[in-house]
Amino acid sequence: MEGLLAGNEDAVRALYARFARPIFTLGLRLLGSREAAEELTQDVFLAAWRKASRFDPNRGRLSTWLMTIAHNLAVDRLRRETGVTRPRLVLVEELPETPGAEEDEPFLERDIALRALASLSQAERGLLARAYFGGLTARDIAEADGIPLGTVKTRLRTALIKVRRANQDKERAP
Amino acid sequence: MTCVEVRELLPEFAVGVLSVEDREAVERHLGWCAGCRKEAAELGAAAATVAFALAPEPVPQGLGDRVVGRVRQAAGAPGSSRRVRVTAALALAGLVAVFGLGWGAVMAGRADRFADRAAIAESRRTAALEQFQRVLASLPRPVPEQRETFLGQLAPAAPDVQGGGAALEIVSPTHLDMLIVMVSGLHPADLEALPYRVTLADDAGRVLRVGQIAELDADGSGDVFRQFDHTDLTGYTLVTVMDARGHIALTGRVDQTPVSPAP
Repeated sequence: MEGLLAGNEDAVRALYARFARPIFTLGLRLLGSREAAEELTQDVFLAAWRKASRFDPNRGRLSTWLMTIAHNLAVDRLRRETGVTRPRLVLVEELPETPGAEEDEPFLERDIALRALASLSQAERGLLARAYFGGLTARDIAEADGIPLGTVKTRLRTALIKVRRANQDKERAP
Repeated sequence: MTCVEVRELLPEFAVGVLSVEDREAVERHLGWCAGCRKEAAELGAAAATVAFALAPEPVPQGLGDRVVGRVRQAAGAPGSSRRVRVTAALALAGLVAVFGLGWGAVMAGRADRFADRAAIAESRRTAALEQFQRVLASLPRPVPEQRETFLGQLAPAAPDVQGGGAALEIVSPTHLDMLIVMVSGLHPADLEALPYRVTLADDAGRVLRVGQIAELDADGSGDVFRQFDHTDLTGYTLVTVMDARGHIALTGRVDQTPVSPAP
């Protein structure tokens, strides 16, 4: 991060090598085109460089920080383009349940993510996907599913906490 | 917004589906509440995990070079001299800290000094920035930490426009962000151009209103400043000064290259 802060080219390339694919992938899923995903990827690394002095490793992982920037930028872009105050994201397939064999290279963050999501029920994975990728609010989901708003909020919180705990367990594992 | 209200919104905040109003209200609360900030960080980390679960797509060829190019371009933008920015940061942050911000007095004094040199049109842009830095450097310190002060020059947007200007931006994680814009060498007799409207935009096209310059001094100088109660100015770098006819008179970028306080 010190390298990024100084605008060091090698630091930018190192970060890019590690995180460009998941960031581009998120952009593609949320924005729906490779052009928009490429713009988003560029914006994320530029924003990361600009905000590098604010990144605090004691408060969270670098991967989380970058992906949060990416999601926020994508949501803001969708809000601008659709003119609504909350995002209307493209629908995507549900999240994979377990690690697949389709990848040609190992990716640590994805491995951790899949294992964490495996701790959720199918309904919880679906709920997270509808909110995170679909842009549905708790109220939208409550109305669509005919269940109380408070229940949806509680389930969303529970799902996120489960993921967080699974991540923490993974980080503590030898 | 109370902690209870904020915590009820945090799951939706983490997955990015809150309305703009709710999101800004939560962000304001998180600015001072460490407990809610901790929970927001944990839920946010969990939400980011969801993104990593997607099967990775191949990135376009050459994208890495384009990313590096954009960062390099931003890092090497004009006016990014570390010394200049550190000096300005020291001085202005000191002013804010020590005097509780007497902006009116500062602006009045600056206008007089600014009026002293509107000599050669060619040198006006540089002179404005130099004068700005000199004023700031003469102010007391010390410096509160974690506050970034950035400078930028404003140049004519069209060949038939005279003048120039400077912009100074304070971006702080704990205080209100603010922008000061000073112009000089505009046509003082062109009354139809008044008022000039000043805006600040980011690369994503979001535009913030800074204010109006309702009148100019005899040498065509004027200024405007604004504190932003709810907006983090990080990324907001494009300053535009537009006349009443809707023509852009001056434009320029504040260089937001991060810099640490001088030792």
